[in-house]
Amino acid sequence: MPVDRSVVGKSTGHTRVVIERGPVAVFADAVKDANPIYRDPAAAAAAGLPAIPVPPTYPFVMGHWGTFPELQPDGGDEAASGMGEILGPLLARGGLLLHGEQEFEYHRPVVVGDVLVGEGRVADVYEKQSATNTLTFVVLETSWYDDVTGELVVTSRTNLLVRT
Amino acid sequence: MTDVTMPSYEDIEVGATAPERRQMLTRTDLVKYAGASGDFNPMHHDEILAKAAGMPSVFGHGMFSMGLLCTALTDWAGPGHVVQVGVRFSKQTWPGETLVTRIVVTGKRTEGGRRLVEVECRLANAEGETKVVGTATVQAA
Repeated sequence: MPVDRSVVGKSTGHTRVVIERGPVAVFADAVKDANPIYRDPAAAAAAGLPAIPVPPTYPFVMGHWGTFPELQPDGGDEAASGMGEILGPLLARGGLLLHGEQEFEYHRPVVVGDVLVGEGRVADVYEKQSATNTLTFVVLETSWYDDVTGELVVTSRTNLLVRT
Repeated sequence: MTDVTMPSYEDIEVGATAPERRQMLTRTDLVKYAGASGDFNPMHHDEILAKAAGMPSVFGHGMFSMGLLCTALTDWAGPGHVVQVGVRFSKQTWPGETLVTRIVVTGKRTEGGRRLVEVECRLANAEGETKVVGTATVQAA
């Protein structure tokens, strides 16, 4: 079955997340980062930041902590179809899902107190044939905007790999 | 944290390295990362299920490896100075392995008034097997 490229460009949903102090400190601990900047507002201020920043890979997990139901944009669930459309059929065929690559681009530091709106889309889908498997690559891109100013804050690109 | 920080843009040279970080991976590390990230894929914390799936043991989250690498990067370049970081996950990590970071300067350039330093970042085990490899761009003072 050839890969369905019609999903490229489709939305994977909108999410609004709140960046909170406690989860940032817990996450810094988990990635072995003892820097006081992730725990102490004075240390963040001394580094010239407006508030406690987040570790570079925190944008990957911030939805786990700060996604509150009453803050979600209207239609957020409805739009979350692009990912299901592409991954659903692949996984239904017994595919093994792997995280192949991950990239972040930071346009300004993410800090505690930020409210960010993420707009996700399927950036690309392509297939490669190996001797024994079909490898399907799905690139998901999420652009996170400041909910107040509308400025682009961070872009996340996730390259998933499904082996069938 | 280390006390060694990235040299200034003028002084930094291709081939310069950030201090290496070494971390012996434990199952407790993986449980902590699961809790902090919300990634409760049992392959990362449930030894019984992992073995039933044919794995020798639980194995590390790819994003935990990337997180360790980024800790070494921000220790050196400073939090808030990372402009871009991208990695490829090449091998699984296993409890008991010692994971070693290696960050090497590959170039520098100015762009829109910003002074940028390019690095290659790699996480490998003590035997030299690459787990995660990629590039990053950091802003120099």
